[in-house]
Amino acid sequence: MIRKEAVKIISEKIGENPIVSANGFTSRDVFEVNDKESNFYMIGSMGLASSIGLGIAITKPKKRIFVFDGDGNILMNLGSLVTIGSTKPKNLVHVVFDNNSHESTGSQPTNSSNVSLEKIAKEAHYKVFVAESQSNLITILKKIKKESGPIFLLVKISNSKERSKRVSWKPKTIRDRVMKSL
Amino acid sequence: MNEKNQRAVFKYFKKKKISKFVGVPDSTLKHFIDECINNKDVIIATREEEAIGIATGITLSNKSSLVFMQNAGFANSISTITSLVQLYQIPLIFLIGWRGYLSDDAPEHLKIGKIQPELLKIIGLKSKVLTDTNWKTNCDWALKQIKEKKSCALIIRRMFHD
Repeated sequence: MIRKEAVKIISEKIGENPIVSANGFTSRDVFEVNDKESNFYMIGSMGLASSIGLGIAITKPKKRIFVFDGDGNILMNLGSLVTIGSTKPKNLVHVVFDNNSHESTGSQPTNSSNVSLEKIAKEAHYKVFVAESQSNLITILKKIKKESGPIFLLVKISNSKERSKRVSWKPKTIRDRVMKSL
Repeated sequence: MNEKNQRAVFKYFKKKKISKFVGVPDSTLKHFIDECINNKDVIIATREEEAIGIATGITLSNKSSLVFMQNAGFANSISTITSLVQLYQIPLIFLIGWRGYLSDDAPEHLKIGKIQPELLKIIGLKSKVLTDTNWKTNCDWALKQIKEKKSCALIIRRMFHD
C-alpha cells in the first residue's frame, strides 16, 4: 500500500471530519484525493501537525479530529505524544503513515525502523492500532469508529514514484476555510 | 515585572476571553504562569514550537490563545513563527521572558538577549515591553492586534539575578 491509497481509504471513511495533514507529500496526497474546507494543509513547520490537531481537538470536543502525520514528522516532535497522552483528547485520531523514510526529500532513512513508534505511543496512553494492508486498514477503521481516543493508527506504507500536485490554496485561504468550517 | 502585576496580566487576559495559555515555563514569567496553573487554563508543552502548534489549533477553532516562553525558546521557534504563524496569518499573542536583558545575566543568555529586539524586528513580529506601569495599555494593544488577525509579542524583561 502506498500513502496515497491509504489516504484515500481513510478520507472516504471519515467523511466531513477535519484533517490536519503534515507538510510534504502527505498534504499533497490529501489535497489531491479529498480536498475539503476543514482540511488544514501544512506546507511548512514540519512536526507540528499533531500539535495543531491537539489544539483543535481540545477546543472542539464534539468533532472528531484526524491528524495525518508521517514517521519523519512525528520523530521531529516526539514530545507531542507525551502532551497528547497527558491531555487525553477523546476525539483525536493520530494517523502516522510510516515508510521508514523522509520520502518528500528523497527517501532518506528515518529511524522508525529501529525504534517502535507504536510502543512509544502505547506508553503515552494512546490506543494503538497498526495497519499493514488495505483490507487490514479498512477493518481497523470500522473498529475505531466507536473507540474513544486518543487513538494512534500506524499505517505501514511503501514509497512510490507517484507524485500528487502541490496544494494550490493560499495559506490564508486554508486558514479561512478551516476557521469557517470549525 | 512584579508578582502582583504578573498575576493581574493573567486575570486581565482571562477576562478578555483568552481561552488557553500554552507554553514552556520561564522563571521571568513565573508568577504569570503560576496564575495560569492555579486557574487550570494552561497547557505546558515540551517545546516552544509545540506550544505554538497547539495555540494555532485553538485559534483555528475560533478561540483566542496566548503562547508564553523564554527568549531562548523564541529563538528556537523562528522558523515556526515565519512558516506557520506569519505564513497563515494566525493571530496569536506571544509573551516572552527576556533573559540576557541585563548584560551580567547568566552566560548562556547573553548572545540571544543582546539581539532579542533585532530578532523581533527582522522577522517582523511587532512587540511591546510590558512594565509595572504600562501593562494594561500594552495588553490592550496586543488584544487589538489579534482582533485584527495579526500576531504580536509582549516582552517582560529579566531585571534580577538569582
